[in-house]
Amino acid sequence: MSAQGPAPRQGSTTVGASLACRRVSFSYSEGGASVPALRDVSFSVPAGDAMALIGASGSGKSTLLQVIRGLDEPEAGAVVLDGVEPGAAGYAERQREVGLVFQTPEVQLFAATAREDVAFGPRRLGWSEPDVADAVARAFELVGLPQAVYADRHPYSLSGGEARRLALAGALAMRPRLVLLDEPFVSLDPGSRRDLVAILERLRADGITLLLVTHDVDLAWRLCEQRLVLAEGRVAAAGLWDFAGDDARLLAANRLREPFLVELWRRLAYAPGQAPRTLEEAAKALA
Amino acid sequence: MRATIAQYYPGTSPIHRLDPRAKFVAVTAMAVALFLRDSFAGLAVFAAAAALAYGLSRVPIAWFWRAFRPLLWLVGLTFLAQLLFAPGDAFFSLGFLHLSWRGIELAAYLSLRLVVLVLIGSVLTLTTPPMALTDGLVWLGRPLRRLRVPTDELALIVTIALRFIPTLLAEFDTIMRAQRARGVDFHRGGLRQRVRNLQPVLVPLFVVSFRRADDLALAMEARCYRPGIARTRLHPLRAGWADVALLATTTVVIAAGLLL
Repeated sequence: MSAQGPAPRQGSTTVGASLACRRVSFSYSEGGASVPALRDVSFSVPAGDAMALIGASGSGKSTLLQVIRGLDEPEAGAVVLDGVEPGAAGYAERQREVGLVFQTPEVQLFAATAREDVAFGPRRLGWSEPDVADAVARAFELVGLPQAVYADRHPYSLSGGEARRLALAGALAMRPRLVLLDEPFVSLDPGSRRDLVAILERLRADGITLLLVTHDVDLAWRLCEQRLVLAEGRVAAAGLWDFAGDDARLLAANRLREPFLVELWRRLAYAPGQAPRTLEEAAKALA
Repeated sequence: MRATIAQYYPGTSPIHRLDPRAKFVAVTAMAVALFLRDSFAGLAVFAAAAALAYGLSRVPIAWFWRAFRPLLWLVGLTFLAQLLFAPGDAFFSLGFLHLSWRGIELAAYLSLRLVVLVLIGSVLTLTTPPMALTDGLVWLGRPLRRLRVPTDELALIVTIALRFIPTLLAEFDTIMRAQRARGVDFHRGGLRQRVRNLQPVLVPLFVVSFRRADDLALAMEARCYRPGIARTRLHPLRAGWADVALLATTTVVIAAGLLL
């Protein structure tokens, strides 16, 4: 593409964007009837933080991601990106800085080579070829796929875990400042999960803001300091995890369980000085 | 994005409970009869019968309207074509356009026929689940088996295709959204650009469909499906007195429509 668009932001560290939803509502129309999916959803994520979006199936998690990315217009309320209100100058640009990674994103791969697929987004942004090449190289590196090995391979010849990482690279090549991930761990083998966790930890270290939909509370807790619990399209809780408080009840009410470590601590319920220090002691304490 | 024309409206009305074979035969016979004779009285009989069937089906009028609306322009267009180009003694002419009483009459016939046709077709598809309709067609196509037409296999293909239309539409929608998130604007650019924009949607859609077809074939084999072997049905079709009544009524309606 010859058209020169705005150059991507320079520098190796990308600073994350903040996100705030203010009383966002959205309904689907189904057979003439309107089915509410999100009702009065309000929460905020400071720049560079990570928030886990959890809730039972059908609670509106995926819909919320689509609305934040602007693929669906909210019926009421506003999605404020990096402090910019919708309709204000620069909002469309902020929306382009939101990366959305769909569930099983590998089904979107379509180009003849891995490199072309990753370059697709940056080219749509109208970047110059050197900028595109730069962004592609960085994205391959971020997801841990060496360009020398993978760039010329056909996307459909990759393994499941590799294809998912390639799809993620396609989103990261657009240098997003806020990344929305819809159940990125689904149907990955343990090795690929570990790789993906490492990638997300790296994004966090770079300062990118994350919103992560997952049913895996262990990973949610490990990767995110905040959680947003959705129940039937409403916010049941938003903010920092609170295991000493209401989280156990909240998670159970939404068909989830506490992180394994939290559960372990609860079951050990130790008094000071009596904490098991060896596997044998732990086994006795848990028996 | 939904296919409105063949949509099923779940219900338990007398029309819903009729045998799909009887409904199909009645609708086909009436559709043919509709075009046999030019007579307003006859068409009125067909229209009344169609309206009665629709009323008995207890399907909300909005559903019929949704099926009908896309065809409105077709009805309008044929009306205009008949009106302006039909032979007859013109009482008003403008260039090559001629208005004649005969033209108005023909245009009215044709529009009425189309409306009645859509109405009875809608009653059939709105009150009959696609699978039941397929089963009915297989039964009606039985004589073809003597000619070595693989009717059961064809029916299975149609059934599977119908079953996967909503799935594919949902898949199509998801992939469109995913590519929009990657910066594709499906509504901008010239024709060339728009066609090119479809590539990132169609390639994944085909790949997903082929994989799904593979999986489905394996799953069917795992459940011992073999072509050419007669299968029994979970819900065998059963015709009753209501179906006999339907066919009798249809015969009377068609006779009246053709004689009046």
